[in-house]
Amino acid sequence: MSSAQSRISQVASHMSATGRAGLLEKRPDDIVITSALRTPFTKGGKGGFKDTAGADLLHGAFVNLIQRSGIDPKLVEDIAVGCVLAPGGGATEFRAAALAAGFPESTAVKSLNRQCSSGLQACVDIANAIRGGMIEIGIGAGVESMSTQYGPGAVTEFSELLENHKGAAECKVPMGVLSEQMAKDRGVSRADQDKFAADSYRKAGEAQQKGWFDKEIAPLKVKWTDPKTEEEKVITVSKDDGVRQVTAESLGKIRPAFAKDGSIHAGNASQISDGAAAVLLMKRSTAERLGQKILGKYVTASVVGVPPLLMGIGPWKAIPVALEKAGITKDEVDIFEINEAFASQCLWCANELGLPMEKINPAGGAIAFGHPLGCTGARQVSTLLYGLERTNKQIGVTSMCVGTGMGMAAVWVKE
Amino acid sequence: MLEFRTAGFNPYSVKYSPFFDSRLAVASGANFGLVGNGRLFILNLTANGIACEKFFETQDCLFDLAWSEAHENQLLTAGGDGSLKLFDIGVGEFPVAGWQEHQREVFSVHWNLVNKGTFLSSSWDGTVKIWSPEKKESLLTLPVHSCVYSAQFSPHHPDIVTCVSRDSHLRVFDLRSKPSAQNHLTLAIPIHAQPKVAPPGMNRMNGPTECLTHDWNKYRDSVLATAGVDGVIRTFDLRVPSGPVNAMPGHEYAVRKLSWSPHLSDVLLSASYDMTCRVWTDGSNVDKGGEGIGFGRELGRMDRHTEFAMGVDWCLFGAEGWCATCAWDERVLVWDVREHMRGP
Repeated sequence: MSSAQSRISQVASHMSATGRAGLLEKRPDDIVITSALRTPFTKGGKGGFKDTAGADLLHGAFVNLIQRSGIDPKLVEDIAVGCVLAPGGGATEFRAAALAAGFPESTAVKSLNRQCSSGLQACVDIANAIRGGMIEIGIGAGVESMSTQYGPGAVTEFSELLENHKGAAECKVPMGVLSEQMAKDRGVSRADQDKFAADSYRKAGEAQQKGWFDKEIAPLKVKWTDPKTEEEKVITVSKDDGVRQVTAESLGKIRPAFAKDGSIHAGNASQISDGAAAVLLMKRSTAERLGQKILGKYVTASVVGVPPLLMGIGPWKAIPVALEKAGITKDEVDIFEINEAFASQCLWCANELGLPMEKINPAGGAIAFGHPLGCTGARQVSTLLYGLERTNKQIGVTSMCVGTGMGMAAVWVKE
Repeated sequence: MLEFRTAGFNPYSVKYSPFFDSRLAVASGANFGLVGNGRLFILNLTANGIACEKFFETQDCLFDLAWSEAHENQLLTAGGDGSLKLFDIGVGEFPVAGWQEHQREVFSVHWNLVNKGTFLSSSWDGTVKIWSPEKKESLLTLPVHSCVYSAQFSPHHPDIVTCVSRDSHLRVFDLRSKPSAQNHLTLAIPIHAQPKVAPPGMNRMNGPTECLTHDWNKYRDSVLATAGVDGVIRTFDLRVPSGPVNAMPGHEYAVRKLSWSPHLSDVLLSASYDMTCRVWTDGSNVDKGGEGIGFGRELGRMDRHTEFAMGVDWCLFGAEGWCATCAWDERVLVWDVREHMRGP
């Protein structure tokens, strides 16, 4: 190498930017999102999707994703779908849903289950497959029909071996019960939880009123049986039906659900819901070649383990790991989408990490509009990216706690 | 703020004369120092702004300069062709002395502030060399085995030499020690080690990155600061050689030059590829009765440069805030740091 050439490469080597600047740099091998959407979320057992199969919700998300992005379905090589409750993981009906939605047989489909982070795990799996060169274009998705599939059948009976191992047996403790204990142990008061929950409802109400969800929601036309008349109708569901007017005072009157002297109740925990979400991912170079409009990019993700009985602290442990991988500090993040499994755990994580409340779930969260388990992680991507767009900000984090004691977090950049 | 344009040349280093408060020198190169001639500017601060008193041309880019501590008209340059040259402002257009031992670009030169009869140089060839102006050959070669971006004599002791290099280490040489297999090396501190106490807002552990600059504190005789490609300024206390005592993130790109204030023991100035020059306190506030420990923070910044900021230096004389900076925007700026400090 000539001296001029080596001097150029030396200066270039000084330029590997760090922190925010490095994160915002655009490189051809970035994994970008060119479309992210979700169905509305509706109340389990009584909402607009109570009679719709999970695979049909997923089908609706796929059809809209193809339409909105204008992607040629032939180019999509793999689809990962997060789902928690479907028997067999939903593997069969999700492949079927993809075919019905217009993907050719050459488009592969898998289902996966990492509990409440399944939707995020699906996006991360696809991003990693693209980064690793296994595929060029893929879809990370999530779906859950809690109306049709929520129930005791979702967990297999524990064997004697597992029952006799303390840590193992603790994986089975219901999340409401363990979160109640955690709220008590960590001193998260009922009043604080109710205030956090009321804020979630208020923010979601405002978001709905101002049309903040319009860009991410794909309305679906579904069959619905009127419980009063038993009459089957075709309805168009276009908004989340769990959002309602509440105050911390009105929430304060609800009876605790898991212990007489408890603090957790139906109003300050996530709602049981139905819904689906999908995220289209590819390399920046691919997006530019295909003329796909780039919404944002995926930076990195983390997965951590925590004690099963403290599963609610998952985001507290996962977020710093993801930030460290991304090379940024929490102060450089503009919006945190942290799943509100329970007001108690979300609030505890936010406080413990020292995150300002105005940066957390600015359009409300699962307490207000629901938590279709396997879908939430994919839903957060569209909520985050459109939230960043609305506020003209750039860096966001999505995160959630995971039943049996885990946490996941991912860093995203709006472009 | 005063400004001087180094038209056609991109500055790498600016230094105030230790003898006159109105005299500055700038080392520069054509084409961003990548290929082409070098130029050494001698500048004077006058009532009508900055005037170029004289300049010297060299065959290759100049990456650094050091004023002689012994002779008011002499100064030394670090050349891209591996040469060191001593210029005398009163003597013609050619150097009065020259040394050629380094195999590659020389990135820093520094004059011994205590024993004014020696100076040193550091090079991409992985060595630090100690010289005397009277001798044709170097007095000593200290092998580092990694591109040495910056080397200095301690301002407190004539036989202590430090350097920082591509391999993310701060090395301390004691020239009094017996020459042995160690080659006078007494300490090699990993710059990327975790600080004893992580400062607020810094939760990441960067791996090793190239260290581009360092400077001795002028008051506390065991304290130095380093900075480089990761944009983090770190302070070290040689009494605690396991790693940094303080880390100050903030610069968005590599920090190219650091300089401790000659007036205040806790204040330092930095120049970065992010085009800003920033002033920092390391939080020690020793002269205000502090105990020498505390978190560092940015006090203010000057963002008038429009290309990579490469050099900073403090004026030794007069009021305590005057400094000079230079950048690849072909400009030298002379300004008062106090005008760029944020309110309390």
